[in-house]
Amino acid sequence: MKNSKIFWLLSLVLVLSAFLAACGGDDEKETGTDKTDGNETAGEPDAEQVLNLMESAEIPTMDISLAEDAVAFNIFNNVNEGLFRLNKENVAEPALADGEPTVSEDGLTYTFKLRDSNWSDGTPVTANDFVYSWQRSIDPATGSPYGAYMMAGSIVNATEIAAGEMEPTELAVTAVDDNTLEVQLERPVPYFMSLMSFPTFYPQNEAFISEKGDAYASNSDNLIFNGPFTLTDWDGTGLTWKMQKNPEYWDAETVKLETINWDVVKEPATAVNLYNSGEKDRAGLAGEFARQYANDENLVTDLEPTLFYFKLNQERKGEKNALENVHIRKAIAQGFNKQDLVDVVLANGSLPANYLVPTEFSFDENNADFRDVNGDLIEFNAEEAAEHWAMGLEELGVEEVTLEILGGDTETAKNMDAYLKDQLETNLEGLTINLKAVPFGVRLELDEAQDYDIQTAGWGPDYQDPMTFIDLFVTGSAQNKMSYSNSEYDALVESAKGELATDAAGRWEAMAKAEKILLADDAAIAPIYQRGAMALQQPYVNDIIKHPFGGDFSYKWAYISGK
Amino acid sequence: MAKYIGKRLIYMVITLALIATFTFFLMKILPGSPVASADKLSPEQRAVVEARYGLDKPLPVQYFDYMFGLVQGDLGISINQFKGADVTDVILSRMGPSAQIGFQGMVLGTVLGILLGMIAALRQNTWIDYTSTFVAIVGISIPSFVFASLLQYWFGLKWDLFPVALWKDGFMSSVLPSVALAMFPLATAARFIRTEMIEVLGSDYITLAKAKGASGSEIAFKHAFRNALIPLITVLGPMAVAILTGSLVVEQIFAIPGIGEQFVKSIMVNDFAIIMGTTIFFSVFLIVIILLVDILYGVIDPRIRLSGGKN
Amino acid sequence: MTQKFDKIPELPKGSFERITLDAKQAERITKPSVSFWQDAWYRIRKNKGALLSLILFGLIVIMSFLGPVISPYEPNAQTITHANLPPKVPGIEKLGILNGVGTLGGEKVDLYELKNVEVNYWFGTDGLGRDMFSRVWKGTQVSLFIAFVAAAIDMLIGVIYGGVSGYFGGRVDDIMQRIVEILTGIPNLVVVILFILIMDPGILAIIIALTITGWTGMSRVVRGQVLKYKSQEFVLAARTLGASDSRIIWKHLMPNVLGVIIINTMFTIPSAIFFEAFLSFIGLGLQAPDASLGTLINDGYALIQFAPHILAFPAILLSLIMIAFNLIGDGLRDALDPKMKD
Repeated sequence: MKNSKIFWLLSLVLVLSAFLAACGGDDEKETGTDKTDGNETAGEPDAEQVLNLMESAEIPTMDISLAEDAVAFNIFNNVNEGLFRLNKENVAEPALADGEPTVSEDGLTYTFKLRDSNWSDGTPVTANDFVYSWQRSIDPATGSPYGAYMMAGSIVNATEIAAGEMEPTELAVTAVDDNTLEVQLERPVPYFMSLMSFPTFYPQNEAFISEKGDAYASNSDNLIFNGPFTLTDWDGTGLTWKMQKNPEYWDAETVKLETINWDVVKEPATAVNLYNSGEKDRAGLAGEFARQYANDENLVTDLEPTLFYFKLNQERKGEKNALENVHIRKAIAQGFNKQDLVDVVLANGSLPANYLVPTEFSFDENNADFRDVNGDLIEFNAEEAAEHWAMGLEELGVEEVTLEILGGDTETAKNMDAYLKDQLETNLEGLTINLKAVPFGVRLELDEAQDYDIQTAGWGPDYQDPMTFIDLFVTGSAQNKMSYSNSEYDALVESAKGELATDAAGRWEAMAKAEKILLADDAAIAPIYQRGAMALQQPYVNDIIKHPFGGDFSYKWAYISGK
Repeated sequence: MAKYIGKRLIYMVITLALIATFTFFLMKILPGSPVASADKLSPEQRAVVEARYGLDKPLPVQYFDYMFGLVQGDLGISINQFKGADVTDVILSRMGPSAQIGFQGMVLGTVLGILLGMIAALRQNTWIDYTSTFVAIVGISIPSFVFASLLQYWFGLKWDLFPVALWKDGFMSSVLPSVALAMFPLATAARFIRTEMIEVLGSDYITLAKAKGASGSEIAFKHAFRNALIPLITVLGPMAVAILTGSLVVEQIFAIPGIGEQFVKSIMVNDFAIIMGTTIFFSVFLIVIILLVDILYGVIDPRIRLSGGKN
Repeated sequence: MTQKFDKIPELPKGSFERITLDAKQAERITKPSVSFWQDAWYRIRKNKGALLSLILFGLIVIMSFLGPVISPYEPNAQTITHANLPPKVPGIEKLGILNGVGTLGGEKVDLYELKNVEVNYWFGTDGLGRDMFSRVWKGTQVSLFIAFVAAAIDMLIGVIYGGVSGYFGGRVDDIMQRIVEILTGIPNLVVVILFILIMDPGILAIIIALTITGWTGMSRVVRGQVLKYKSQEFVLAARTLGASDSRIIWKHLMPNVLGVIIINTMFTIPSAIFFEAFLSFIGLGLQAPDASLGTLINDGYALIQFAPHILAFPAILLSLIMIAFNLIGDGLRDALDPKMKD
């Protein structure tokens, strides 16, 4: 028995060599299985029209009124449809609406004509389905996260209904007849068409929902659809589902795909392995994977209009802190290298952000990017940051400041926060940063209680207009849990929403001014980066359209060619 | 024996009640809002949502509601992960794959481990012994997520022997995850059996059996193996725990719709009802295993039964 | 064939000497008196595997303190332009290993040349350009710290609890054992996760979470041993000879129980290290930028295909520690068992 100990040691040596073998054991790398060289030009749909895709999380709910997550929104965008839909160029175009609506002179009354279209059970979609859906979403008893959020302040009576002061039936949306829908607005909403492509404004089938009762939306058998596809084989809690072409869809002849097979894969490495094995047609890439596949010919890169930024809390739990000083805030906002961050740490096609409203997101009538008005507002500059820092410390009368960065607990978030900590501590002398990574739910609660110093936050648009970003930080807004308040900024936002609503150019200018105040003057937040997304996509997959808001993708136009 | 089991069952119920109580109050002091969309809901809506899940009632009432539901097998309703779904249904729907890979991993690991340990003991200090020792060391010294991703990369992607991941090809899909889970039981069983058998082989009655002219295989199987096997039952409990822990990791890596994978997610999204339900489910599983092990041990080894009955 | 003896050869007189039996002499112990520890040390010295493991482990501990110091880089210092460099050790690069060659986009290239890096990183760098050499050793230090503190707390609570329960027996034992039974009924996985969720994440949270139910194993073992030995003849003999309770506990029970305690601790330490690694995987590990073997392995395992060095070094260290502890544990089991005294 004792002799065998020596051979434990021998096995130790073997363990070592096994690891060393693993180190050197990847001479060749798999890159896609079926290569169809020279067939890059989009051909005609020829092979079997089946797409195999992955999702990173399961479906929390398929109830349109209750959904609030990217997975569900993406599915809604493909199995349901509203009055408008984002087209291949990401412009909202009429879908269930039969052409553009008639708008009253004051911009407050919209009248939509509906085209003839059917639910997946063959019954027609009527104006009443919209009325029912919107009322259901605004009814506080439903507890819809997006209902009041999207409607209050826009549609007449929505605010009061959400507060329980009026009945849901008093929402100012009416079915004039089966094919005519009329909506009354509180104030002109220049981006109303793009709002109509958001899932919260989709129709819902009252007869079906009341028939199913509690079972509604509990699995794919208890759902009804009116979009390009139907959802099937979803058991309500599983990691797999399918989309099948919907023969009842009004534009079914455009839809080329027959089936989309979905699986939830949470491990990024597993997703890439599945792609490389040929089992899946598209896989998202993050971090090191993005870097490794940076030159892959099947790499697709999308810039998303999602901004990540530091919220600089000026008043933690009722007590003012160092961030109340504008120089300290500017020092932090300018004190980290954003270019290195996106190039090395994120390496996924993200852009350094020196702004609030993302680039390539909103355009005026001349198709000029909103970004062109202000350009870069607050850039990385170590010297300026150090100067501001010194001034700030002097004004505060201290030599050292300790701040906490509250961040997410994903791998990417942790890596990024570690990098930012190092950058800030290096560039700003006397600063100590403590990192705190917590799950999203905990972060929300800490945000609500304003129990943090600096928070890494992200924001994606809810509709296609700079306002979805600009109005985030008005005094007392739900996203402004950092005690920022600037009356000039508030006034500009108010005027852009109010008297300037019909004056496109003036409104644009007011929003640009507000953005400038927020960043260049006040450094209320410190923008970090605008998110990019990289994915590997098999060359035979064509025309998956990526959208800036609402559901992430449309598969309506996608097809397989050259597989 | 019946009296002993009865007594154990009563303790089991008390234990469970205490665990449920403990978990319930722990959940109440967990940070984070139970409602994911809290930032988008108005106070009125939030009140509605909280009322729907009974979160507005006083704590003692919530507690008794929960315990009362528990007795009827009702573990509450999921708030975030699967909005409105019965936690019991969620767990039941996820049980199959977990049970399958867990069971296969356990059986595969123990059987291989026993074989390996036996051969090692019989061929002590030969290359066979060292190989088996090496496997045992690897089994306990490499974290399961590393092992699982190596399996996936080599056996799934490179050599294309098994599916890379997903739960689609029946038994074939379960092979790699089961192997990943089997490593710990395998290592434990191999080491255990080897030590026990070497000890038994050196004991007086084996010498006697040899002196009486029993053949090598007779000694190995009839005497040494049987006596070495009994103590193995005592480590079945820890093995089951290891499988449970491993399943969290392995299911996520192989994208298997099991309980472990779902539990990790429920922690991430703060779904109190599911965290609590899964905790209780895991506890029941563990307690039942421990009870079974004790009963099995009592049946096989009469000495234990005696002391068990007395205690 | 028979041999014939003509006559029996005569033995010379004085070949034998008569001795006198001295009762005092018979009682004297000629072997030098060795204490428990001397004896254990003597026997563990003979066990080469355990001895080498002990030396190896000693080296690891020393390196875990020395490593971050001798490396020119701080464990958390980032040189972002040096991110993801494979290991390069001057001198042995000619051998074709640790030569700074890594894969990029499927091609083998010398990344040091490519990125114009003049310095060498012995274990390479991670995605933020941090020196893996100092990170791995720092991580080892943190992991060992967590494991040792957790094991020590487990030991303290477990020994006292198990000892009291076993020594006093009866009603006290009954109640105490019910409590342990309930605690062991809760999967420690769940307890650990819940505790980490309610506390601020960090080293302290992990240690508390690991020990909150971890001590039950130790207490069971200690109780079992105390129960077993307190009724044995040698204890009875000591008692009959008028030994005090404390003498019985310290001189007679402890040496017997101590072995088990130490062995149990030897196996608690690797499992604590392991559990910490598991917690990192499900996102409940240490806070960035702190590193432990667990967080390092977790960072590295997904990159097996591209940057295996990020996984390999912490994984090798983890394996070494695990193997060393198992060998030391086995060695100690043999060495500390009073029955095996020769």
